[in-house]
Amino acid sequence: MAFEPTAIKAVSASVTPAPGVRNVPEVVKLIDVSSCIGCKACEVACQEWNDLPANVNRPFFGSYQTVPDLDWNFWQLIKFNEIQRDGRLIWTLTKYQCMHCGDPGCLRACPAPGAIVQYANGIVDFVQENCIGCGFCITGCPFDVPRLSPTTGKVYKCTLCSDRVSAGLEPACVKACPTKCLSFGTRDQMLAQASYRVEQLKANGYDKAAVYNPPGVGGTHAVYVLPYGDSPEIYGLPRDPSVSFVDVWKGGLRWLGNVVIFGGIIGAILHYLRFGPRRVPAEEPVEAGAAPRPTEPVPGDGGNG
Amino acid sequence: MAVRERRRVLVRRYSLFERVVHWAVAITFVYLMLSGLALFWPPFFWFAHVLGGPALVRIVHPYVGIAFIVALLVMLGIWAKDMVLDRLDIEWLKAVPRYATGQEEGVPESGRFNAGQKLLFYTQIVAGILLLLSGIVLWFPMQFTAGLRQASFIIHDLMAIIAIGALIVHIYMGLFYIRGSLQGMVEGVVSRAWARAHHGRWYRQVEGTSAVITEEAHD
Repeated sequence: MAFEPTAIKAVSASVTPAPGVRNVPEVVKLIDVSSCIGCKACEVACQEWNDLPANVNRPFFGSYQTVPDLDWNFWQLIKFNEIQRDGRLIWTLTKYQCMHCGDPGCLRACPAPGAIVQYANGIVDFVQENCIGCGFCITGCPFDVPRLSPTTGKVYKCTLCSDRVSAGLEPACVKACPTKCLSFGTRDQMLAQASYRVEQLKANGYDKAAVYNPPGVGGTHAVYVLPYGDSPEIYGLPRDPSVSFVDVWKGGLRWLGNVVIFGGIIGAILHYLRFGPRRVPAEEPVEAGAAPRPTEPVPGDGGNG
Repeated sequence: MAVRERRRVLVRRYSLFERVVHWAVAITFVYLMLSGLALFWPPFFWFAHVLGGPALVRIVHPYVGIAFIVALLVMLGIWAKDMVLDRLDIEWLKAVPRYATGQEEGVPESGRFNAGQKLLFYTQIVAGILLLLSGIVLWFPMQFTAGLRQASFIIHDLMAIIAIGALIVHIYMGLFYIRGSLQGMVEGVVSRAWARAHHGRWYRQVEGTSAVITEEAHD
């Protein structure tokens, strides 16, 4: 764990409060899609800083993109999408990784205590030593980010370089970016910078430019500036991500389950106390050698049938 | 002789094979229930530690699930013919309030299984099949779409809740309320009085056959 327990704001599968008491500013990684040149320096920096084994020995799949998708050993990826808009070709280059949601669906879906934590600065981290490999976080995540390793049976994703940030450094991808497409700072600073950049883009004819900081997941700690902010889908980002499924799954069903289990046990106990056990009186045993007697039940014997 | 010899009349209720299948279903179900509840609600998470550790439980649970389904399907094969609901079973279901409050009159006699047991059987078969199908999706989360996984979580949890609720009733009836039932599923025999009282139609079918045993008992 990159941070002290005093900096932990939320812990997965924990019904008691998290230990965090530190008052630290929230951080944000700002991704200005309009100034990404697709150099992939961030991908390399991520692989290098996190010592992740490369797995680029794949067949060509018709794209400049390094790999088709995120993987357990590939935590951030520039997605190269060719789309048509207003009769023009647009080639979007969108750095994709964990969004570090304010209300993380992965953390709420996780059944293993302490396997996912959220720090006071907003970073959501997987703690592999507590991970049981169930993959519930994969379904809880509205951005399809966590990846299960078939060899270790644990899930992995971008840590927002929580180890570097805890030492006062910027994430490796931000450090490597040559165009200032990536910035890192406090949430207030970065949201102000994002708004400023959106105004610049609007002045340059991108009248749909917008900040992508979806409220359905409590805001994110990876925030985008999108030149075509009215269609986040063209950047591979969900329009309105939410954790409403996790509410049903971890709210309604859990409530129903507890009513059935505890209600059933309490109901059975009360029924037993009121109506007691039903015993069938044993038949009167027959003395050996005596004439067989009728086999009517004899009341009051009290034996168990 | 100091020991008085007596006879008691027993009725053979379950064959050895039937008992083996029942307990195979029961033991795998209890493992699946405890390991599943550990992942369902954090206060139950300690079940996973008792069962050998949470990461191990995550690996073992699906395999035990397959064993459960196999045992359940064998059970379906051997008991399906005894589980058909007939007219008197419907009458029995209408009389459940009287049956549940210990009244004898107005409750029709049952065959080999009463209508409650039959409904439990169908509940577990349907729940078991849906648990299997949704469980396969959850077993390999990277192979299925998000929508399918979400639906599977709802189905898996809902069916587990229904199956556990039915099991609570089953354990209460078999172990606590209807005394003498457990002997049938453990030793394979019940007393003649029990057979008459709880499964009168069945008793008349087996009356006079080799299923009725008179054995010497010792005080």
